[in-house]
Amino acid sequence: MVAMGTASATTPPTSGGTTAGTAAATGDLCADKAKNSSNIKAIEAVDASTVKFTLCGPDVAFPAKVAFSAFQIAPSEYLKSTGGTGDLLEKPVGTGPYVLKAWEKGSQIVLERNDNYWGTKALSKTVVFKWNGESAQRLVELQSGNADGIDNLGTDDFATVEADKNFQVKPRDALNVFYVGFNVDMAPFDKPEVRKAIALTLDRQRLVDNFYPKGSVAATQFLPPGIPGFDKGFTDFTKNVDEAKKLMEQAGLKDGVDVTLSYRDVQRGYLPQPTPIATDIQAQLAEIGIRIKLDVQESGTFLDNANAGKLPFYLLGWGADYPDPTNFFDYHFGAGASPQFGKGFDDLHAKIQEAAQTADPAARAKLYQDVNALLAEHVPMVPVAYGGSAVAYKAAVKGAHASPLSNENLSVMGIDGQDQFVFVQNGEPSGLYCADETDGEALRVCEQIGESLLAYEVGGTKVVPSLAESFESNDALTEWTFHLRKGVKFSDGSDLDATDVVDSFTVQWDAASPLHKGRTGDFTYFSALFGGFLNPPAKS
Amino acid sequence: MSLDPGAETPAEIPHEAVTAAGAPQRSAASGGRGRDIWRSVLRSWSGRLGLVLAVFLVGVAVLAPVIAPYPPTKVLLDSSRNERKLEQPCVHLLGCDSGEVQHVMGLDENGRDEFSRVVYGTRLSLLAGAAAVILSVVVGTILGLISGFYGKWLDNVLMRIMDIILSFPSLLLAILIVTVLGKGLINSILAIAIVGVPTYARVVRAQVLSLKEQDFVTADVALGVPRGRILRHRIFPNTLTPLIVQSTLGFATAVLEIAGLGFLGLGVTPPTAEWGTMIAAARGLIFNSPHLVFFPGAMIFLNVIAFNLLGDALRDALDPRTAGRD
Repeated sequence: MVAMGTASATTPPTSGGTTAGTAAATGDLCADKAKNSSNIKAIEAVDASTVKFTLCGPDVAFPAKVAFSAFQIAPSEYLKSTGGTGDLLEKPVGTGPYVLKAWEKGSQIVLERNDNYWGTKALSKTVVFKWNGESAQRLVELQSGNADGIDNLGTDDFATVEADKNFQVKPRDALNVFYVGFNVDMAPFDKPEVRKAIALTLDRQRLVDNFYPKGSVAATQFLPPGIPGFDKGFTDFTKNVDEAKKLMEQAGLKDGVDVTLSYRDVQRGYLPQPTPIATDIQAQLAEIGIRIKLDVQESGTFLDNANAGKLPFYLLGWGADYPDPTNFFDYHFGAGASPQFGKGFDDLHAKIQEAAQTADPAARAKLYQDVNALLAEHVPMVPVAYGGSAVAYKAAVKGAHASPLSNENLSVMGIDGQDQFVFVQNGEPSGLYCADETDGEALRVCEQIGESLLAYEVGGTKVVPSLAESFESNDALTEWTFHLRKGVKFSDGSDLDATDVVDSFTVQWDAASPLHKGRTGDFTYFSALFGGFLNPPAKS
Repeated sequence: MSLDPGAETPAEIPHEAVTAAGAPQRSAASGGRGRDIWRSVLRSWSGRLGLVLAVFLVGVAVLAPVIAPYPPTKVLLDSSRNERKLEQPCVHLLGCDSGEVQHVMGLDENGRDEFSRVVYGTRLSLLAGAAAVILSVVVGTILGLISGFYGKWLDNVLMRIMDIILSFPSLLLAILIVTVLGKGLINSILAIAIVGVPTYARVVRAQVLSLKEQDFVTADVALGVPRGRILRHRIFPNTLTPLIVQSTLGFATAVLEIAGLGFLGLGVTPPTAEWGTMIAAARGLIFNSPHLVFFPGAMIFLNVIAFNLLGDALRDALDPRTAGRD
């Protein structure tokens, strides 16, 4: 990826943690992409409780983005004292309903109620996060009474759990998409006929019927329903094997072709059973002579390879971070996207950029219809399914819910007469400084401890006030002002003020900041959501 | 016969010479001795059971295309058939509604006929096990003969290498080798074969060391028979007996280890039917669809039992020192 070391060495370190004043003073930061590749022009503290963001171009989704848990506010002093890494990764300080009590590596994370919380106090005195990668194991934890809630109920366990009076199942809306991806620069997928043939052969309904839990839907386009911009009347491909065979013939592959399909054996909402699904796709595509060899890769290696454009044919998906089409289209098919699908398509780049800067919902919807049509024409991937998933709780749990963004709020849940609430999720977080995490397992824990300027409503996607009581923007949607809530205290006892907000964002924004370290230094979400960094490191 | 339990080392007891057959030339291969062996194997109940099971397994493997109602990778989820994946076993003879399609062992997590997969899995497991054992036996025998017959520094070097291999738990070493060579059936066969070599090399070497000192060999040496000829015509045929016993027992282990590697995801890649991978794929479904874990597991169990019993019976029949102990 990017060479962090060299970047910090060649750029003079900015004084302290606050670069906002400096940044705003250096003139037009929007003109030079080498100086600032992001869409942010300035982040300023107007007064102790007001923060103003100035953007280069309009961004309709700005409030939805700052509500995301990667942009939680940490105390400015704590960021400086930890140097932006180290303790920051394992002992997060936030304003949320819970504070971290202990992280026993490899076994559990224990949170304790924050009695100074500004909002409604949490129901349970302690929350314990545990993890297990096997859905059958999680179910055993629930059935044996060790767990009060478990994430991602197994596809084949729905009937058992729903029939049991001791449990309740909360389905999670399918706010994700699972797709079969191609690198359109690599043979044989450089031939549009082959990609189209695969799209016409896949029986998406059969995959959903057999391998997805209740609440899942066969895909008709890249955007899942529930994200604005989803076009109800549009279906990209209808199964037609005869047509597909003709296309294969046109591509000169009448006798078929041998290909390798890569995937990772990791359960996700969009991919509940990786190997059976891969095996079924293998069986389906054999019908048009595509002979597939399955290649299971380790999760991290797989993602790195996909992002580097090294995989010709792979299974991947995307879950919504915030409910806006930019989160889906820009990240995958925008001009700044990774070479995951090859070098990209210019007409697609242009439409996606135009849509992101259009504020009028009707005009925007029209543009996204064009994007859908272009995707069906170029076929850089075949969307297969919107995967529903579910969280199962004991029947006695009050406030039980499932969030479509997978950020269940445990502070509103509890069992009468029970101090402790145990939640078993799929995996252990890699770190708890969520600015530099992308894994939902880390983000869910962060959600309990920290807070962002705004938040998503409990169990929904609507943006609601959080640390900022209110916000407004100018008509051009380029200046956003947030008014902070008064009297909010961090778990280390310090007060929340505008400097904390400015620093929490600037540490991520300014790649030359000495505090821009994190766990990996990638700050993937900031870059993906706001277009890049200030003082971006030279691309290697 | 009388047996002195204190004298266990082959070098001290020229046991082949004690047998009724006299000069122990190609004894294992000769017709009269062969009949004796079979009779001896069949005399014990464990030998009979082992032989029946082994013949059954080999029969299933050979006749797989005849026995299996479907190809092992055929997905039966077409909309034209009214079938669901993970269907429980349905046998018409046992009272399953005749309106339903018969699946003796049900359908698996991908909607394939479990019975066909188990049957083809038998074929693959036995072939893989046999290939691994044959490889280890060939390499192990050559190393053992060289080591035992020529001795000196060569013996030391070879045996220390074998000791190093033996010092690792066999499955762990096999995992290491597969990780280095890459996943796949051929590589897992190679790994199991490499791990098995030291056992055979040591068995053969011990046999050679004792044979070297026996009269019929020293006589050949005195008559000036070339060493290569002695090795081929006097020593090698007499090492076959313990090798047959060892490789029968080793076959059971090899099949188990192939299944183990498959279970860990290092063996065959989907959709090929293999017992270990089948169990791994269904392990999360053990509460809802126990049949998917039970049948391949039962086959592995049968296989291990069959070849262990057969191996034990063969040892009793072939090795006069332990014969008649029961």
